Amino acid sequence: MTGYLYHLYQAFKEEILFLPSRLIALVGIIALVLLPLFSQSPYTLKVFTLASIFAILAASWDLLSGFVGQLNLGHALFFGVAAYTSALLNLHYGLSPWMTIPLGALMAVVTGMLVGIPALRLRGQYLSLATLAFPLILTGIIYVFPDFTGGELGVSGLSRLSNSRLADYYITVGLALGLGFLMWKITDSKIGLIFHAIREDEIAVRAAGINTTKYKLLAFAFSGFFAGISGGLYAHVMRLAGPSTLDVFMSFQPIIWTAFGGIATIYGAIIGVYLLYPFMEVLRIVPEYRMLIFAVIIILVLRIMPQGLSPWVIERIQKECPRCKRHNAFTRKTCKACGTSLEKPSLGGDSFKLEVKTSE
Amino acid sequence: MKQKKGLVWIALILLLAFAAAGCGSSGEEPTAKEEVIRVAVAGPMAFVQGEHHWMGAEMAAQEINDAGGIKVGDKNYKYELIKVDTNELMSVSDAATAVERAITEQKADFITGTIRTEAALAIQDVAMDYKKIFMVAGASFIGLADKVEEDYERYKYWFRISPINGNLLAQTSLLLLQDVSKVLREDLNIETPKVALVFEKAQAGDALAAAAQQVVPSFGMEVVGLWRPSPTATDLTAELTAIQDSGAHIIYTYFSAASGVPYAKQWGELQIPAVSVGINVEAQAQGFMAATDGRGNYEYTLNTYGPVEITDKTLPFYNEFIKRNGEYPTYNAGGTYDSLYILKEAIERAGTLDQDAIVVEMEKTDMDSTIGRFVFDEKHDVTWGPGYVTAVGTQWQDGKLVCTWPNGWQGITYPGTVEYKLPPWVVEAYK
Repeated sequence: MTGYLYHLYQAFKEEILFLPSRLIALVGIIALVLLPLFSQSPYTLKVFTLASIFAILAASWDLLSGFVGQLNLGHALFFGVAAYTSALLNLHYGLSPWMTIPLGALMAVVTGMLVGIPALRLRGQYLSLATLAFPLILTGIIYVFPDFTGGELGVSGLSRLSNSRLADYYITVGLALGLGFLMWKITDSKIGLIFHAIREDEIAVRAAGINTTKYKLLAFAFSGFFAGISGGLYAHVMRLAGPSTLDVFMSFQPIIWTAFGGIATIYGAIIGVYLLYPFMEVLRIVPEYRMLIFAVIIILVLRIMPQGLSPWVIERIQKECPRCKRHNAFTRKTCKACGTSLEKPSLGGDSFKLEVKTSE
Repeated sequence: MKQKKGLVWIALILLLAFAAAGCGSSGEEPTAKEEVIRVAVAGPMAFVQGEHHWMGAEMAAQEINDAGGIKVGDKNYKYELIKVDTNELMSVSDAATAVERAITEQKADFITGTIRTEAALAIQDVAMDYKKIFMVAGASFIGLADKVEEDYERYKYWFRISPINGNLLAQTSLLLLQDVSKVLREDLNIETPKVALVFEKAQAGDALAAAAQQVVPSFGMEVVGLWRPSPTATDLTAELTAIQDSGAHIIYTYFSAASGVPYAKQWGELQIPAVSVGINVEAQAQGFMAATDGRGNYEYTLNTYGPVEITDKTLPFYNEFIKRNGEYPTYNAGGTYDSLYILKEAIERAGTLDQDAIVVEMEKTDMDSTIGRFVFDEKHDVTWGPGYVTAVGTQWQDGKLVCTWPNGWQGITYPGTVEYKLPPWVVEAYK
């Protein structure tokens, strides 16, 4: 037993404590978990509950668009489909959120498949434009059947997610961290490798004999599932599902948050949301300039950190070993794994001397 | 170096933002010494509806505070308004968190405002969670009131001040239609006026389309066609020429969005030989004449206000509002304005700031507001009818908005009402 714990501790030391970025992530996670100890204000809890829901949404977008490179401009489709499905199941059949949310997510997966199959015949900008259209189509369908869908006014009077604001908070934070970790693991797996490769050079992947369409559909399915979970959670936290869940604004928000936090990283999307969403709430003290300041900050950050916040920070606090590619803390001089010097060689000085021998 | 400079810019902007907040946050902190009643005015403050919410509330709060405030027991309280930008036209979750913040952080005791139904539903739930009285001054969805009936104990804190609900708006616009048909029968000898229905493609238009097609024949009129233009249409010449070809005498409209402007402008330009009547929200605004390049004359729309004395509160409010803000008040401004007066009366009758006691007194409200004799029905909605709130019919004549209805309807004529005028080209066409 103690041996096992010891190994666990060693692994913890190696993988997490060792790298400053993971240490920061750990501190962040602990802060989220312990937040209610410092503030039980229902408003603060609500803000972070919604932030957690949007974190799942943003991470799911990053999985599809950041990793697989299929720029999805209509991500709200998955969000809205799941929100409406959960809402209608809850309202008309009285199912509890524990059932409606997974069912909503499954509906979003099905939608992802239905949308993906025709859309994947397109490439690049054309795919993006097609994805932009889908939430609009669904909104139109919703308006055509107002008796069933509530039309422009949406579906209201849904059950709560749980009995208390605190429980809501922990459920959503837990899901955000858990599902975020799961998504990150997906990108770190063999499937993730193929996703990455498809983004970089799809033709090469196909030349290697891999059915890229199947993997792209898989990406739509994963992305749709996780976005669907966030849609279902949203419906039950807000107790309402309306056409605003399919709004173009709702499609663009995850893109903005992810671009800010770090595209193609998963954790970047989550960090982006947890930083920006509460920041938007803090900005309510200057309500006239709120949107403007938000936009300006984003533009400035993208100017100096084009890859997003997380990669920029990581670049500064960690060094990649030139030989074995393992990340090391910036304080280290030699790589922990292979011992190579992490110092960048400087021309001149003591590293080497250039002597010119003249013939005698 | 570029990165350092960028970081400095970000830090500067954040610093400026918080400094501006520090200067501008007077009135946000709860003042301990003074006895205040905090009312959150919730609306999309970057848009005209929110601006009107604020302007109406500000006027009422100032008037009431200057007159001595609100008497609670033997203490005198003043209104303290909290401006809450819900951003509801862009994001419903933003609206809900904004109101929640107003209640928990800014300590609002009462809420008034909102315009978008989806946001009103979300805010309604937030307000009911905290058991705070929420007075709607914009959303007309009847479902909001239905909730009071379905779950009274939870939703009893909800009240609607303006407008009359969607069904009643439709009903009243049909009265305007009948009024106009009477004029056509008497002045132009058209026994069975032909009616063209033009309802924008929106949910409210759907309901109205179904109702109108059933009801209009029973008024002795004939429906000659139904047109559903897009709410964002900028050119309705196709619809208008088709209407002309159909031989319609009346165009019965429902426009709540921007397409109301090009419709009226082109109707006037093409001089379609049919009168236009119904609901055209754009035609309620001061800028309508300019927006239609002066062609909007004779457009006839249902409205909340006109330059008439609905009650002795109406004209002082109407004229003072125009003087202070330079534009006609809308039902958003009137809604928040009236809500503060109605709340004041209820608090004073209750003698306490306890929400439940105030709810009981609110239900007993029977007073003159700016839109008529104000009484809540069992669903806490606006009571409509002769002797209560009726809404008015306003027509543009000679570039000015005047009130032409009710003009003897059920014996009611508000002082200042003038006769409805037929467009001269319509008179020409059917002489």
